[in-house]
Amino acid sequence: MKKSYINLLLSGAVVVSLANCSSDESTPAVNTELNAQVLTEFSTNLPQTVYGSLASKTSTLYDQVVALSTDGATDAELNAARTTWKQAREAWEQSEAFLFGPVSTEDIDPRIDTWPVNFQDLDAQLASENEFTEAYIDDLDDALKGFHPIEYLIFGENGDKAADELSARDLEYLTGLAKNLKTLTADLNASWQPSTSNSYYTAFVNAGNGSAVYPTQLSAYEELVNAMVGICEEVSDGKIKEPFVAKDPSLEESPFAKNSIIDFTNNIKGVQAVYLGKYTADGKGLEDVVRAHNLQLDSDLKLKMASAIAALDNIKVPFGEAIIDKPLQVQAAIDAIAELKEILDQQLLPFVQQHAK
Amino acid sequence: MRKDKIIVRLFMIIGIIVSVYACVEPDALQDSDYSEWLSGGSQTVFDNGVGAFSTAFPNLTSAREHVHGIGDGAFGQTFVTAPAPINPGLGPIFNNVSCTSCHVNDGRGKPPGAGEQLSSLLIRISIPGTDAHGGPNPVPGFGGQLQQRGIFGVAPEALVKIEYTEKQYTFADGEAYSLRFPTYSLQNPYTALPAGVMISPRIAPPVFGLGLLEAIDEADILANADVEDMNDDGISGKPNYAWNVVEGKMTLGKFGWKAANPSVLQQSAGAYNEDMGITNFIFPHETAMGQSQYDGRDDEYEVSDSLLHSVAFYIRTLGVPARRSADDAVVLQGKKLFVEGKCAQCHVPRFRTKTDVAFPEISNQVIFPYTDVLVHDMGEDLADNRPDFDANGREWRTAPLWGIGLTRIVNGHQNFLHDGRARTLLEAIMWHGGEAEQSKDFVSNLSKTDRDKLVKFLESL
Repeated sequence: MKKSYINLLLSGAVVVSLANCSSDESTPAVNTELNAQVLTEFSTNLPQTVYGSLASKTSTLYDQVVALSTDGATDAELNAARTTWKQAREAWEQSEAFLFGPVSTEDIDPRIDTWPVNFQDLDAQLASENEFTEAYIDDLDDALKGFHPIEYLIFGENGDKAADELSARDLEYLTGLAKNLKTLTADLNASWQPSTSNSYYTAFVNAGNGSAVYPTQLSAYEELVNAMVGICEEVSDGKIKEPFVAKDPSLEESPFAKNSIIDFTNNIKGVQAVYLGKYTADGKGLEDVVRAHNLQLDSDLKLKMASAIAALDNIKVPFGEAIIDKPLQVQAAIDAIAELKEILDQQLLPFVQQHAK
Repeated sequence: MRKDKIIVRLFMIIGIIVSVYACVEPDALQDSDYSEWLSGGSQTVFDNGVGAFSTAFPNLTSAREHVHGIGDGAFGQTFVTAPAPINPGLGPIFNNVSCTSCHVNDGRGKPPGAGEQLSSLLIRISIPGTDAHGGPNPVPGFGGQLQQRGIFGVAPEALVKIEYTEKQYTFADGEAYSLRFPTYSLQNPYTALPAGVMISPRIAPPVFGLGLLEAIDEADILANADVEDMNDDGISGKPNYAWNVVEGKMTLGKFGWKAANPSVLQQSAGAYNEDMGITNFIFPHETAMGQSQYDGRDDEYEVSDSLLHSVAFYIRTLGVPARRSADDAVVLQGKKLFVEGKCAQCHVPRFRTKTDVAFPEISNQVIFPYTDVLVHDMGEDLADNRPDFDANGREWRTAPLWGIGLTRIVNGHQNFLHDGRARTLLEAIMWHGGEAEQSKDFVSNLSKTDRDKLVKFLESL
């Protein structure tokens, strides 16, 4: 076993070294200009746009929560807040396809998207007389703030909360949470704007060209692909498989809004968006680099992305029910996402290692 | 962060690495140079991005990869107040809510910014004297670690205030630099703090490569020890023997900022218990036991034996990132300076792990951790003045340097040393004192170009 492994290593080394030492024509083409353009257009069309949308939706959500708290909450106001919450989730879940940079290093992800919620403490907070100031909410543990406590408060345990069931304390807490989410997502959005000091946009688009973070364009490309691999693995092996294997709906991440399958789908759509370089506006993406050299890989990737999204779409009941009642559909989704992960990791990653440096 | 890597990638990239050599003079390919790219031996991984410290050993069998995955999942789980359907048992007093809250991306923590609360930094405390095993003497009413947070309605032990004072220095060539000196104070204790409490701030260290470090033979570590400085080079190097809870005896400490922890398992169990308030078979009692915050819930372990073992296995099987640009001319010149400055006396580059038939992945690997796993007197400015087993108040374990150049991309900062006081690699060097005084002076006397080369070398690790 050990021996064959070393032989593999050696043969790999010989093959690649021969390729490298031979004349220029046979070396893989590295189009530095296109690569730079892809990194730039990714930055504007994905992080800037998706985080921009996220920040805008959470800002609207805050306004709607304030409206709920003014002159008595109506069901129409509550429904509007729920719709906006789902729209903000859509942007956020798509952004999880590029979970690197400030969202990770500045701890924004855990502060806005921690699961499970600490319900014991949440109930105790609501029953207390603590004043939910901005600073107080900001100091709370991660499991007491962000998307999921907001979800619990506006949807209720069974997803059917009525406006008149919102207590004054619910609304005070909700207002504090919405304000905190608005602030954190605004910070996240700012972190990718070129005008911000220590802008991550600047670090990313200048990869291999004086970037403080990315010494080469290849390192930025690897970051992109590894992030796509990472979210596929997280969705198939974590978010779906863990509640499914345990047959335990309480492990589901977004149970109150019954939004889990939409979340998973948006994660994969995020992967697709990164590959295409398109969230709303279309630009140069990884797709363009792949298509220049390997149409088969491009086609395979698109097929796997579409299959994964279709497999999720084929689960027609809420995830908490599906893990009990629709095991075949759930397993098919796990498999389809795992296949997407595999082609990203085993084909797209080696591809970019040849076509970026 | 979940990552599995495959052998195909490993040999592809080795192929590229070898090809670099293949294109230059044939005699440049020496065994030692070649291996040096692979900081973790066969367990070297090739992710240079945010996942650099989160990648599993490349050649785990699928069954072992599965255990790694279970540990990975547990490492990310957030604990909440009991009773709860998922992950109950947080606190009642704690430092943080999940492993990954401090070890973000399996990497290095940073001190809180102005106005932020402590997140990936904690404070160890003790009073003069020792406990039954020669370890730190716990503070009555507070224990050996300060928990600065509590679940709802539970008073934290105290709050921590950090203040920095800048001091200006100059290199021999006249360039100025500044170091920030921290002062720690404990505020609003839930009950009166006894006099003479010693405090030791500790930042969350990276958790990759620890299985390989654990696999270094004790004899190989002791071979570098020179407690009485018999060779008269100004560098001693002391093994720190600490209480091994599982084995019930003193064994060589390898982990933690003072090497006061003998195994990855005990380190993990201790972190569950002290940092999160999660009881387990190694540390079965709540840290608040005997204090007014104690809720009397010691009835069952809050993390199961198998899950604890899975988490320890996860940590043991996180691979070490490969070096970048190890053959760059500037990097090689920096490496030469690293050796000339006697940095490599303590930051020992190379070990071969022991043979371990029960754990083939970590067995007999040539690794490049850049540590001797011994403790050294680092001088007055870095001293915490709090002994921890055999390590005195001025002694710290030589920090491993592998992967250090990826700190910025993984964790978004360059805060180094035990409490993150250094803001660049160069500042971290200039904090060295005591046994490393001569090395610091060496760097201080370098030209700017040479200092930059030295930093380039460190960034390539």
